[in-house]
Amino acid sequence: MSDSANLVENAAAAYRALADLAESVEDEWQYVTDLTDTYLLGILALAGTPGPLPNGAAEAVDEAIAEIELITDPHRAIDWLSTFPHVVALALGGDVDMEPDR
Amino acid sequence: MRFQDAARDARAVVYAGIQADPLVARLASLLAEATPAERWMARAAMNGERTGAEIWRRMFPSVFGEGPAAELRDHAERLLAGSLEVANRGEQARNQYRGAVVEELTAQLLARCGGLVKRERRVLFDGVPAEIHPYDVTVESSTRPEVYDCKWGARGINADVLNQLDDARMHAADEEIEMTVALVVFDARQSAEIRLDRSSAPREGTRLVALENIDELGVAHP
Repeated sequence: MSDSANLVENAAAAYRALADLAESVEDEWQYVTDLTDTYLLGILALAGTPGPLPNGAAEAVDEAIAEIELITDPHRAIDWLSTFPHVVALALGGDVDMEPDR
Repeated sequence: MRFQDAARDARAVVYAGIQADPLVARLASLLAEATPAERWMARAAMNGERTGAEIWRRMFPSVFGEGPAAELRDHAERLLAGSLEVANRGEQARNQYRGAVVEELTAQLLARCGGLVKRERRVLFDGVPAEIHPYDVTVESSTRPEVYDCKWGARGINADVLNQLDDARMHAADEEIEMTVALVVFDARQSAEIRLDRSSAPREGTRLVALENIDELGVAHP
């Protein structure tokens, strides 16, 4: 597995855990599910970002993962459901804003 | 149709103190000149658990790494410092500061177009009961008025907000006034679209401005 694929796999695993925490806000379950379905695909698609990893990408993704792993408040987790994918995308030089399949 | 200052209850007075904090205006000025990557950095830092600057520099190498010119890095450093000041406030204050920053950013960008930009104003229409909640930002014109509701995150979008904006637009139309109504969300456009797609409230006449296209507020539209 390439460095990029490893980073993306780690980011996706952390994102799933973040979504699990966010899902505990019952009133927002549908929104959390919709966001997660969309952005998880976006994160996984980053593995196909062409070219070498940008400088600092691995450290950046590791820091982003470490940040969301510290979150214990499900409301804060919802704040990060849209933010984390964009942080990872910036680090890897890709894009997570694909059209959702709805 | 006319605009009116909103009456201030105790909560509004406290919030006005936050809106007047120089930190809010400073951060909004920096965000108004920021790149999209810097805006994501600021959003992340203001949402963050950790407040050590070095962590955020490592998380955003495209902003703080070797590539950007010294002038851009200096701007990013000042934006990060301000963002971490917000993050260091308590949870409740942080939420209020983040909201105030989005409102001030919206007002600063709109002011570039030269209109009369005001804050916390209600809109009154003939024969229509006044809305309780004021609009965060208004551009006051007798011919092309604009009203803006500002949100830190897409989660803040709800039916009440959409209905109030659409009602204002419809009431203005009843008086043959073309009013621009808009939601400004300092979050990903896609997350806002996902939120809106599950709402049954009217949204067709409401403009959506998200983190990716917020600069458009500073460009006059026909």
